[in-house]
Amino acid sequence: MEIKVENVVASASAGVPLDLQKISMTLEDAEYVPEKFPGLIYRLKEPKTALLLFSSGKLVCTGAKSVEMAHNVVKIVLAKIKDIGINVMDDPEIKIQNIVATTDLKKELNLNSIAISLGLEKVEYEPEQFPGLVYRVEYPRVVALLFGSGKIVCTGAREIKDIDIALQEIVNELSDADLI
Amino acid sequence: MVDKVQVEEVTKCPECGSEHIIRDYERGELVCGDCGVVINDLQIDMGPEWRAFDSAQGEARARTGSPITLTRHDKGLSTEIGWKNKDSYGKSIPSRNRAQMYRLRKWQRRIRVSNATERNLAFALSELDRVASGLGLPRNIRETAAMIYRNAVNKNLIRGRSIEGVVASSLYAACRQCNVPRTLDEISAASRVSRKEIGRTYRFMTRELNLKLMPTSPQDYVSRFASELKLSGETITKGYEILKQADQLEITSGRGPTGMAAAAIYIASIMTSERRTQREVADVAGVTEVTIRNRYKELAEQLGIDLEI
Repeated sequence: MEIKVENVVASASAGVPLDLQKISMTLEDAEYVPEKFPGLIYRLKEPKTALLLFSSGKLVCTGAKSVEMAHNVVKIVLAKIKDIGINVMDDPEIKIQNIVATTDLKKELNLNSIAISLGLEKVEYEPEQFPGLVYRVEYPRVVALLFGSGKIVCTGAREIKDIDIALQEIVNELSDADLI
Repeated sequence: MVDKVQVEEVTKCPECGSEHIIRDYERGELVCGDCGVVINDLQIDMGPEWRAFDSAQGEARARTGSPITLTRHDKGLSTEIGWKNKDSYGKSIPSRNRAQMYRLRKWQRRIRVSNATERNLAFALSELDRVASGLGLPRNIRETAAMIYRNAVNKNLIRGRSIEGVVASSLYAACRQCNVPRTLDEISAASRVSRKEIGRTYRFMTRELNLKLMPTSPQDYVSRFASELKLSGETITKGYEILKQADQLEITSGRGPTGMAAAAIYIASIMTSERRTQREVADVAGVTEVTIRNRYKELAEQLGIDLEI
């Protein structure tokens, strides 16, 4: 089963308050409209990610395709801010907040029978509201969306291995119940 | 539609047309008093439960009044002072006592609802009744919805949500529990709560209250949509058949039940040459024409139905 990481969200802190006005003047591609959103939005073209910088010094990185990429992007941007003349921490603590991954079972799923046989505690299937079946894995605390086409979106994980464990558990459970 | 007819009471003898109808509670029969035909037997006594199996129950049962109902905040057990200025004999109350009655009525009204919780419950249940009336829902569904709402109150689920939203989703859940699902759009139109909020609150409540509700099946909607389109019974049966086959082929997975039902009705209406346009079917089912087109192409292809249009 091939698992593809689609998005990694990480948070970090520069350690000092940031003067967003000043940063938005120097950095190109920076978007800062305090009336609309209190943070500064900085979109990088390469690698294609977006960062949110807040005046408290906290920052959020979204759109990275891997954990390493998220780490690198945060470091690159902090270096750029340092160039402007703001004395940020050299070694920020970067924390992964969310990982989104997809996979394909290459097999059509009958969501109706899955919903019925897996009991309604961990499974939620409301075709009127959303075409996918929501599967909440207790441990690791991860949510998977199962679609009729056999594709699965897995979200809420903090570590890559959590996704592996959760998806394996789902696949086991489905094959135990003879659904795939 | 069928349900409504059964709920209505028989007032005329179908044989001789007499309006003299006798209800025999001993035998549970409905009998015409003139020609003696038995109109209905094995009737269910909807009255209160009077049997007692021990002395404590006997005491509890020893009461008068209408059966308790969950749709009233006091379960229909408190007293109301009538608004007519008449005493129990039907004589009008002398004008020197009128002011006294007015004060009594006022205080009775104030005392009935003792605290904020009860006031909220009273408001919620009247709102529930209003929405249910707007949708034309029968008694049993209202009772079920009131039950769900009361459970939600007891579990403190209302906090942070609007009363109207919880009422609407209680009704939605009750309809599904009684196997007569309404769409979220229908409930939303009757209740002034957005579809999104009803859905969100409903999902939250099913999780917290452990309501075990199966996903709605397209079949549940067919007869209602079809009768709104004034289609014949033959078309309805055809529609059921199409959906049954679709179910066996497992092509309903991940598709909205209303869209599936609409497409099945559309195909059935063409097959029985009672054709309704996609627009008409779409309006009744609350889906778009595009949905119907996509679903009906899928259905026709998978079931090998040839349609000449």
